[in-house]
Amino acid sequence: MKIVVIVRQTPDTEAKIKVASSGNSIDIEGIKWIVSPYDEFAIEEAIKIKEKLGTGEVILITMGPARCVEALRTGLAMGADSAIHIKDESFAFTDPYAIAKVIGQEIRGLGGFDLILTGKKMIDEETGQVGIHVAEDLGISHIAIVTKVELSSDKKKVTCQKEIEGGQVVAEVPLPALLTCEKGLNEPRYASLPGIMKAKKKPVKEVTPDNINVETLGLTKEALGQAGARFKVTKLEVPQVQRKLKVIKEAEVPEAAKELVKLLREEAKVI
Amino acid sequence: MSNEIWVVADLTIDGKVRKATFEGLSEARRKLAVKLGGQLCGVLLGSGVSGLASELGKYGAEKVYVIDNELLKDYTPEGYSIALSELIKKHEPHIVITGNTSIGQDYFPRVAARVGAGLTLDAIDLDLTDDKRLKVRRYMYSAKSIATVEFLDHKPMMTTIRPNVFKPEEASKNPEVINESIDIKPERILTKTVEVKRKESTRPELTEADRIVSGGRGMASGDNFYLIFDLADAIGAAAGASRAAVDSGFVPYEMQVGQTGKVVSPTLYIAIAISGSVQHYAGMGSSRVIVAINKDQDAPIFQKCDYGIVADLFQLVPALTEEFKKLLAQQ
Ligand SMILES: Cc1cc2nc3c(=O)[nH]c(=O)nc-3n(C[C@H](O)[C@H](O)[C@H](O)COP(=O)(O)OP(=O)(O)OC[C@H]3O[C@@H](n4cnc5c(N)ncnc54)[C@H](O)[C@@H]3O)c2cc1C
Ligand SMILES: Nc1ncnc2c1ncn2[C@@H]1O[C@H](COP(=O)(O)O)[C@@H](O)[C@H]1O
Repeated sequence: MKIVVIVRQTPDTEAKIKVASSGNSIDIEGIKWIVSPYDEFAIEEAIKIKEKLGTGEVILITMGPARCVEALRTGLAMGADSAIHIKDESFAFTDPYAIAKVIGQEIRGLGGFDLILTGKKMIDEETGQVGIHVAEDLGISHIAIVTKVELSSDKKKVTCQKEIEGGQVVAEVPLPALLTCEKGLNEPRYASLPGIMKAKKKPVKEVTPDNINVETLGLTKEALGQAGARFKVTKLEVPQVQRKLKVIKEAEVPEAAKELVKLLREEAKVI
Repeated sequence: MSNEIWVVADLTIDGKVRKATFEGLSEARRKLAVKLGGQLCGVLLGSGVSGLASELGKYGAEKVYVIDNELLKDYTPEGYSIALSELIKKHEPHIVITGNTSIGQDYFPRVAARVGAGLTLDAIDLDLTDDKRLKVRRYMYSAKSIATVEFLDHKPMMTTIRPNVFKPEEASKNPEVINESIDIKPERILTKTVEVKRKESTRPELTEADRIVSGGRGMASGDNFYLIFDLADAIGAAAGASRAAVDSGFVPYEMQVGQTGKVVSPTLYIAIAISGSVQHYAGMGSSRVIVAINKDQDAPIFQKCDYGIVADLFQLVPALTEEFKKLLAQQ
């Protein structure tokens, strides 16, 4: 079983977001980078499947600047076998359509695969579509936002559970297929010290812009960056919500409750 | 290329039109149709759905495209993607919108990839540039920033919208109904729906609710959540939870609000025994009014709320529920 996991490096969830002087992106100075949390679920699930089958291969793939190799090392330390880094500083602001085409091309180059896992969205730009674009590009089925994954014993199908508004759905697709992972699927393991040591020796293949045959992807050179994107962020703001901050302290419980209800009715007008 | 703006209806498992559809039609009419000089259209995909066209008309659709096909009875990414992308290729609309629901998020990316369109998800503001390109605002970095995103050349321009953000507003139209037959080959539908489990709940869904009451780790047990449910029921609210409450096993994951849970934007959000972590705020920070109840006056939530009470929840919440009941009984 060959399992590909598409991963992305994102700022730490606690990171303070400051807008860069360009006004349309974040200031990355001092940011701590992590593996996007949903992608961690994807890595964990891939490793679990391999462990359960007792055989298989887990390959990580990412597209982004040099720093992203850290995300790959984290995944390798968790137990993935090898990684592909499509690497260039200019890749920032490439649109999801082009990212998926480039990642799709690398996956095609693997000479077959059974399953692709990724997060339901990256927690930074939250474009929420790269995974499904990759499935479309490769012409395979997908199940998105899964909370449970079960392979059939003949390894020809996968059955997944997902939450929808007002209920749950269990769906089944033939392999190869792509799944996007939701919280609740598993508890990602921490990399062990021996795992971290081993990861250093695991192969990371680098792919540079020169290795990407844009014509066969139906893209232009500009598509690998902002210039050829389908949209661009023209402005990034830190939301300035003015909250009223009216806090009732040291009041008797019945009075405090009365006061709150009164404020919600008369001042906020929400009840 | 036509000047049409399409709002593709979101349907519930029971085949009802979701509120997000009406919100999309209303906002598209207010913010896009006039400026674009284009026609506002509804799109219905499903089986036995023609009858819903008039509902879309009620919220301003002047024309409704209907693809009524037995193969669209259950949602599948393949069926819906084929139907919508063929329809787009045929009529070349300018803008295509749907709700950011589990279904919208699932097939819109496929359709966008297939027709080569740009797509943004979860917009909270819709607008047009002077040269009629779609311009949306959406959260990035877990609600810690808002990005203005402008579409560039590629058409159509597609977006999903966050439910509960735009105001639904009736504008009764008697829409022209256009039945389209699109050939969907059954063998192209590879996804098999094995089971649909409905949640039996009388409370509204979190992502659509106008009011939400959530409990955190301070609830101390799942049993104590009856306090949250009672309060929620008193004001017709949905019930939510923090991750700590979910991870402690008090309530199921589907109730989690936050960065790795549901993103909600109700008019009123009451956070009970929730400290106010950045990750929780990421899921509810766009609520209009936030109320916090916490026994620790230094809890960070008190720096992020409109109204707060420093008190023990076990004493305060029952009293609050009573007060709400009293007030609402008077009406
Ligand atoms: C990658 C990542 C993703 C995350 N995603 C989410 C997410 O989606 N949603 C989420 O919520 N969190 C998320 N978290 C977790 C988040 O960081 C916090 O740990 C979590 O929100 C804390 O939940 P809490 O406020 O219920 O618990 P605590 O922080 O423990 O707060 C409990 C509060 O209850 C108060 N309290 C206790 N007893 C009482 C009482 N009797 N009466 C009144 N008040 C009382 C306490 O004063 C305290 O303020 C995430 C974390 C990470 C790292
Ligand atoms: N540049 C990238 N390199 C690798 N994976 C990516 C990249 N961008 C997005 N992804 C993956 O696609 C998933 C969906 O992210 P997105 O659709 O961009 O929000 C994420 O969980 C990532 O794993």
